[in-house]
Amino acid sequence: MSETTAIGGPSRFRSSGRWLTSGLQHAYIWLWMALFVLPFLTTVYRSLEDPKGGYSFEGYRFAFGSFQDALILSLQTTIVTIVLNILISIPAAYAIVRYPIPGKRTILAALNVSLYTPGAVMGLSLSLLFAYRLSSIQGSFWALVAAYVVGTFPLMLIPVIVALRDLPTVFGEAARTLGAGRWRTLLRVEIPLLGPGITAGILLTFVIVFNEFLVTLFIAGKGNQTAALTIYNILARAGFAPSTAALASIMQFTSFVVVLLFFKVFGSRYLKGTYLG
Amino acid sequence: MARVTLQDVTKRYGDTVAVDRVSAEIADGEFVTLLGPSGCGKTTTLRMIAGLVELTSGHIRFDDQLMDNVPTHKRNIGLAFQSHALFPHMSVAKNIAFGLTNRRAPRAEVQAKVEEMLDMIEMTGMGDRMPSQLSGGQQQRVALARMLATDPRVLLFDEPLSALDRNLRDTLKYSILELQRRTKKTAIYVTHDQSEAFAISDRIMVMNQGRVEQAGTQLDIYLRPETEFVANFVGDNNTLQGTVRAIEPGTDGIREVVVDCSGMTVRAIAPADLAAGDAVSVFVRPEHIEVLPDGSREGQDGVLRGKIVQLVFEGPTLRMTIDADGVPLHVSVSGTERLALLDQANASVWVELRNPSVVKNPPAV
Repeated sequence: MSETTAIGGPSRFRSSGRWLTSGLQHAYIWLWMALFVLPFLTTVYRSLEDPKGGYSFEGYRFAFGSFQDALILSLQTTIVTIVLNILISIPAAYAIVRYPIPGKRTILAALNVSLYTPGAVMGLSLSLLFAYRLSSIQGSFWALVAAYVVGTFPLMLIPVIVALRDLPTVFGEAARTLGAGRWRTLLRVEIPLLGPGITAGILLTFVIVFNEFLVTLFIAGKGNQTAALTIYNILARAGFAPSTAALASIMQFTSFVVVLLFFKVFGSRYLKGTYLG
Repeated sequence: MARVTLQDVTKRYGDTVAVDRVSAEIADGEFVTLLGPSGCGKTTTLRMIAGLVELTSGHIRFDDQLMDNVPTHKRNIGLAFQSHALFPHMSVAKNIAFGLTNRRAPRAEVQAKVEEMLDMIEMTGMGDRMPSQLSGGQQQRVALARMLATDPRVLLFDEPLSALDRNLRDTLKYSILELQRRTKKTAIYVTHDQSEAFAISDRIMVMNQGRVEQAGTQLDIYLRPETEFVANFVGDNNTLQGTVRAIEPGTDGIREVVVDCSGMTVRAIAPADLAAGDAVSVFVRPEHIEVLPDGSREGQDGVLRGKIVQLVFEGPTLRMTIDADGVPLHVSVSGTERLALLDQANASVWVELRNPSVVKNPPAV
């Protein structure tokens, strides 16, 4: 009997200590989670306010009605930018990884300059360039796309370079011994195996371009207001309205869904690593 | 199916010569192994035959067709890689079909061929699996099926079994041989593993430092090494130094060389380039040294006396080191007589060196 108490005492103490530690750990994590989503939740909350009092989806109806063009423009520029980034980055990555180029590091550093350039500097430079030399596309859809590509193609290039470096050359060689020429080898074997890099690049480009604001502020024409720019313009001109919060929530939600889908579709297949499995 | 001819094939990387004027003629349907240590140029030679590495000089022909500038995908070869190199994003069936779809074969034909290949590698019905769902042996078998599906002219193997465990290696090497015999295709196989080379080849080419040291059958390579490298790389050998006393026309018209060596006389088949007075190395395999029951044959050719200084019982074989007048001889004994020797440590014995081979020493540099 005395033995049981001797053992039981400290063990009960230990288990309550564990409960406390575990509780603190959970609280710590939840605290940060709450801080991260708080701004988003506030926006959603305010977007549900009805101007006539109470709560409704009026803001969303208005956002979809009058900001539709802005949302579509944001999506269009994002998709075109992603396609162009892929078309630029794959050949560039092959050149950098597979061929001996003198001054490779310098070139790579130069290619990444736009990543370290402050948005305002970038916006100013581009608006000067468009005004000075490229007035034909100034303020147009293609001016936006050109700016986004210049600003974000390193986000595609770097993951593709990493994926290509990790891709054993043996797959391409096997394809060639089986009678596949250069293009077939590239399209059927190597590009599918670069999937992890390309999809990572797509995700990064999407998140950045879809939500881009500062550069857009400098170069967007009158008829080319992206969603992010519209939010700013309305706030600056007319102050807060639930519909603005609704537009912001829609953008946030779109980005969230894209990231979620990315991990759902590609996560299991690609994040574990495709080859040598 | 083709005859493969290499003519002074050379590959240089800057100042390094990876492959140095290798010439060979590999007959239609022959199974030839390039055997050598890593870095000897065997893989580079194979990759030049595949067109994956460009020649610095020399020529490669399939039959009479010059292949030097034919790109890999037009050579119609099959290459088995060290890692199976199955495309991880394609199913087993798509992997096997890959070569056929490259040639725009009709769908029905492709499907029939895939089924046939799956039957052949005893993986019927597994076409929908992904490579990552297969065992190592199955992956390598699919790789073989993939390379055979296009009916290539030449089969090339780049150490295809080196990444597998031993049991699997043993089974698969005979599968490879069986497939080659059945399809009667010319095969060139690269390995550093001599037991693999001995098991499957019609002919072996031993390579070292970018050159072919010796080409011949297993028996030629094992019993009549032509260079010191071959004698020491293939199996174990004891090396003794000696001087040629005479060349004699031995029995059956095969010339014999008589060598004075460590106080005894050794007779061996004479290589072509020897003359009396030449300094030579005499090679005797540990398993070709016999421990004699008594000293009654002392003084005869190849018989000498020594003392057992080390005994290691390895189960099927007994390894001994015998000190013969300061020359350590490694001896390995299998069969039941090894049991009688177990308690003979430090005993004095007579041994006979059999099947010695003689190689002329290279001139001192």
